Amino acid sequence: MSHSHDHADLGPSNTRADAAIARIAGRLLPAAVVLLAAAAWLAWKGGDANATAKLYLVSFSFILAISLGGLFFTMIQFLTRAGWSVAVRRPAEALASNLRWLWIPFMLPLLWLWWKGGQHHDAGTHALGLDVLWPWANLEHMQQHEPAEYENVLKKAGWLDPNFFVLRAAIYFAVWAVLATIFFKGSTSQDTVGGTATTDRLQKLSGPSIILFGLTVTFAAFDWMMSLTPTWFSTMFGVYFFTVCCTAGFSAMALVTIRLQSLGALKGIVTREHLQDLGKYIFAFGIVFWAYIGFSQYMLIWYGNIPEETTWFMARQMGGWTTFSWLLIAGHFVVPFVFMISRWMKRWNVTLAVASAWMLFMSAVDLYWLIVPVIPAGLADATTYAELAEKHKDAPVGFFTLATLCSIGGMLCLFAWRTARTLSRNHLVPVRDPRLGESIAFQNI
Amino acid sequence: MTTFATPSSTTAPASTETSVAQTWGLVARFANPAELMHAAEAVRKAGYRYWDCHSPFPVHGIDHAMGISRTILPVVVFGAGAAGCTLGFLLQSFTNSYDFSIWAMVWVTGYPFLISGKPLLSFPAFVPVMFELTILLSALTTAFGMLAFNQLPELYHPLLKHPGFGRATDDRFFISIEARDPQFLRSKTGEFLKSLGASSVEVVES
Repeated sequence: MSHSHDHADLGPSNTRADAAIARIAGRLLPAAVVLLAAAAWLAWKGGDANATAKLYLVSFSFILAISLGGLFFTMIQFLTRAGWSVAVRRPAEALASNLRWLWIPFMLPLLWLWWKGGQHHDAGTHALGLDVLWPWANLEHMQQHEPAEYENVLKKAGWLDPNFFVLRAAIYFAVWAVLATIFFKGSTSQDTVGGTATTDRLQKLSGPSIILFGLTVTFAAFDWMMSLTPTWFSTMFGVYFFTVCCTAGFSAMALVTIRLQSLGALKGIVTREHLQDLGKYIFAFGIVFWAYIGFSQYMLIWYGNIPEETTWFMARQMGGWTTFSWLLIAGHFVVPFVFMISRWMKRWNVTLAVASAWMLFMSAVDLYWLIVPVIPAGLADATTYAELAEKHKDAPVGFFTLATLCSIGGMLCLFAWRTARTLSRNHLVPVRDPRLGESIAFQNI
Repeated sequence: MTTFATPSSTTAPASTETSVAQTWGLVARFANPAELMHAAEAVRKAGYRYWDCHSPFPVHGIDHAMGISRTILPVVVFGAGAAGCTLGFLLQSFTNSYDFSIWAMVWVTGYPFLISGKPLLSFPAFVPVMFELTILLSALTTAFGMLAFNQLPELYHPLLKHPGFGRATDDRFFISIEARDPQFLRSKTGEFLKSLGASSVEVVES
């Protein structure tokens, strides 16, 4: 029997680490600037607008997924009135609070592309537009070069309309910013006012919030990632992106929690019991649920074997992408499943940190796999898969290039810098949450 | 830690006049979980081996206080899950992909059947059954393994004869020490239990 909760120190020396975290933030900002500058320079040198835009979408989706994972965790705790999780909820709230500024690095480029695209449409000149990423944004081009696809995409033109598309993106970000503000501000204000009113209010709001969350995440995934291949469709795609959010968000949460403890904070508040449960979340959502959803999406398409559906997977089974896909299955499911299945691996902070860092990395790999591959050219003319595979056997992947690593790493540093700033100005645990005592005393049976 | 159901009728204790009655052990009653926890630690430290705690609800940390090592059930379940997964694959690949015969009470032969132009050994098609068999064997092993490791179902136990023991399902906490324990001495053990704060210590006959 551990009576540690009787002695848990809730004073500022244990629940705040302002100076130490601010020092970390001070190192992260220059790292972000250098890496992003390097990525921008490499992109400019590369001169491939489409590749640059895709890489940017991967990097942005990565930090978006982490934030959405944190938001989902926070909401689900209020929805279920969970007691155990209070001690580890603040890192999730801090990750989610980034949704208040994440619209900037997405909406500004998007609006610029939208405006430029509209201009070139009027003037008939070739300039950058939304079609740098999303082919449906330039229907004339599709009509000339991909008449078969054009016929299909034309039927979706009501939804895949540039104006409506930008409006929807604005709505998603507005919903996320509002939800993140409600839950983050609510929880941090409780640190000073105390009482149970905040908890009651957030519990009431969590139900409608999670519905809004489910809808916005699903449609954002449809819009930004699925419509990269506008002829392709999968009703499972939104759930798949949700699993990416869970993987990235929960892994980041565990890493932040372990790092805070290594700074000397949260002693006796966050225990092995909490680490084990964070590990369970990563295991259940990030590893098993991810594989379950990914396979469910794959199997139906594989079994149905209809060309309009299989092309998306074919793009991921050509040349280097074949190996990449196998490595994704091994690295995102098989290896971490075996590594994390034992309770001891989740309870020891070293093994949990290793597993979390790996899963965070794998969620970036997963997003790269979702966004970057292109449907092989000459698909309509090929008669057999073998012929097509032979033609595209050198299809490049390019994950381990300097540009990719700088871009993803830079965005992650930017994100970590903002998260660290948030944590350096708040308590690291909801100190006056009515369920904190219950959480500290929590034990896995 | 075992929690027994309330006996259907708490009859008066059997007559002690019969000479065959043997002492099964001692049962001590405690008022709250904290006392139980404290006493359990003392009993463990005193070196008793055949003893148990009884409470109306799970008490966090009691395993640690009693010195009970962790169950090996998870390892067994993992093995069962892996076996289910393997069996699922073997079953399907044998029945769908090959045509050799094996003897399983009778001679059975696989039946390779081409479905929608897929290869005979189509791994993706096998996955759902492999997954379900993994879950099935894991779940059954968890349930029945739990029963087996707890030596359940146990239809009779001497403690159930003890008139006050029904309250172990309500508001009292008990520690029982069996007479077969090498350290057991009726008087000494009784006094030891009393010294731990037991509100009563009574003899249970087998």
